[in-house]
Amino acid sequence: MTALLFILFAGLAIGCAISMVAQRNPLYGAISLIGVFISLACLYVMLAAPFIAAVQVIVYAGAIMVLVVFVIMLLNVEQEERSPTRLRSLIPIAVGLSAILFAEAAFIIFFVHTSPGTPTTNTSDIGLTSSIGAGLFTSYLLPFEITSLLLLMAIVGAMTLARRGGLLPPGAAVVPGDQVFSKELLDRREIGDLMPVTAHTTEEAERLLGVSREHHLSDDE
Amino acid sequence: MEDLKHAGFVLAGILVAFFVVMTMVAYTVLAERRVLGFIQGRLGPNRVGPGGFLQPLADLVKFIFKEDIVPDKSTRFVYFLAPVIATTAALMTIVVYPFGPEVHLPVLGTIRLVIARFDVALLYVLGITSVGVYGVALAGWSSNNKYSLMGGLRSAAQMISYELALGLALIGVILQSGTLDLYSIVEQQAGHLGITGWNIIWAQELGFLIYLISAIAETNRVPFDLPEAETELVAGFHTEYSAMKFALFFLAEYVNMFTVSMLATTLFLGGWNGPFVHQLPWLGVFYFLGKVILFLFLYIWLRGTLPRFRFDQLMSFGWKFLVPTAIINIVITATLQWSPVFDYVSKFLKTSTGWWG
Repeated sequence: MTALLFILFAGLAIGCAISMVAQRNPLYGAISLIGVFISLACLYVMLAAPFIAAVQVIVYAGAIMVLVVFVIMLLNVEQEERSPTRLRSLIPIAVGLSAILFAEAAFIIFFVHTSPGTPTTNTSDIGLTSSIGAGLFTSYLLPFEITSLLLLMAIVGAMTLARRGGLLPPGAAVVPGDQVFSKELLDRREIGDLMPVTAHTTEEAERLLGVSREHHLSDDE
Repeated sequence: MEDLKHAGFVLAGILVAFFVVMTMVAYTVLAERRVLGFIQGRLGPNRVGPGGFLQPLADLVKFIFKEDIVPDKSTRFVYFLAPVIATTAALMTIVVYPFGPEVHLPVLGTIRLVIARFDVALLYVLGITSVGVYGVALAGWSSNNKYSLMGGLRSAAQMISYELALGLALIGVILQSGTLDLYSIVEQQAGHLGITGWNIIWAQELGFLIYLISAIAETNRVPFDLPEAETELVAGFHTEYSAMKFALFFLAEYVNMFTVSMLATTLFLGGWNGPFVHQLPWLGVFYFLGKVILFLFLYIWLRGTLPRFRFDQLMSFGWKFLVPTAIINIVITATLQWSPVFDYVSKFLKTSTGWWG
């Protein structure tokens, strides 16, 4: 029964992985990757590690892949044209790497078959929530904290990169006529004060926003 | 042999739970239409059977016999997959909820009224819920319709945002009970009259409110139903779906309502705990379902009374109000746990040998 389930989920994982690489449509690739993650979670459950399985589904299948799908949907990426010439040079490297992988797998299987010790069939509690929590907050506290610091740095870095420069794009231009825009656009130090500012002439608006009208007019022609 | 017996129990449990949940979902739809009718000063469906009692059956037959229209330029495979994902994800969480305490059956002996009891039941629920987002998002993308796409995008953004507040709200309960196993969490909420031990009484009031609000947003219900805002998006992500495929989305929405109500009952309202449950264990099932029905009624009531949020209001409410409040709740709970008063009050309120418990 266990072997049957293992074959089912392992096969699903491999099949989805192959499909993920082979798919031309990026969204199909993303769906296949979700399939890989869920099959892996099932394998974790069979290895008596329910916590890892649940976290795998929540973090990878549920959060990261949702963002990936979200971005693919938002950009509406079209099917890419096949460009075989660019990738042809990589084929020997791929063959070499896969040969190494197969050699490793064969070595492990050979080693397991010839080693005298039989694996214990007892299920340990190493994969349970309480033991993982105890490990994280005692023996591995420092690596845990360093990892969380790293993630925090990534978030702050992304924020800084995204908000570099003014809120207006460099190509922004002013439309002639009466203007009403929020103070938020004018000076980023005053964010939070969202009262609108009125500019009755185009020139005044140009001066407040610090952009030129020429750009806009040239676009019209 | 023991394995076979266990598998039989699980299968029977799944069948019974499926039947009960499906029946209740069907009648929730009817109740929603009747109660909305009452709120809006009209009658609602009352022709099929006595008082409209057979209306769900008529609706089902109608859905089956309607013409199934597939948009010409849709992405076929994903278009068919989306409602399947939505319904499967909605139904999969039912197995972990404890419907009642240990009961004695004539031939089978003593059994617990929970189908699957395992270490990470709560995380399982969160994981499956987050997979459910794909149903809506992929439906919106594959329909090749701008309203559907906008509905799908809105829904993905909304569900990611409110999942955060929802998960943080649950941490208070986890801190208090020290386990992720739903059956143990319910057992810990026994108390005097079967009521004083509930987590909503001591001490997750704030957590409960945050959970309730984000659960409504998670299920895309009024006032958070922006993915299908009919005045802006026709019908949102399911604009292009018809017949049985639309029915599956409809079903998924109501099953989701049902499961978040069950989770709220289990975590905050003491699950099957209530007066005299220790003397008559079967009462527990009725208490549990009764509490779930209260939540479902609240959903319908809200739909009849509240207008819809604007999308920027929705986002700022979730990120700038609910998430910080949920973090404050975690700090409060952790501080309470650490103070000796908490233990004293907990011992007084949460006792399995209370009066009429």
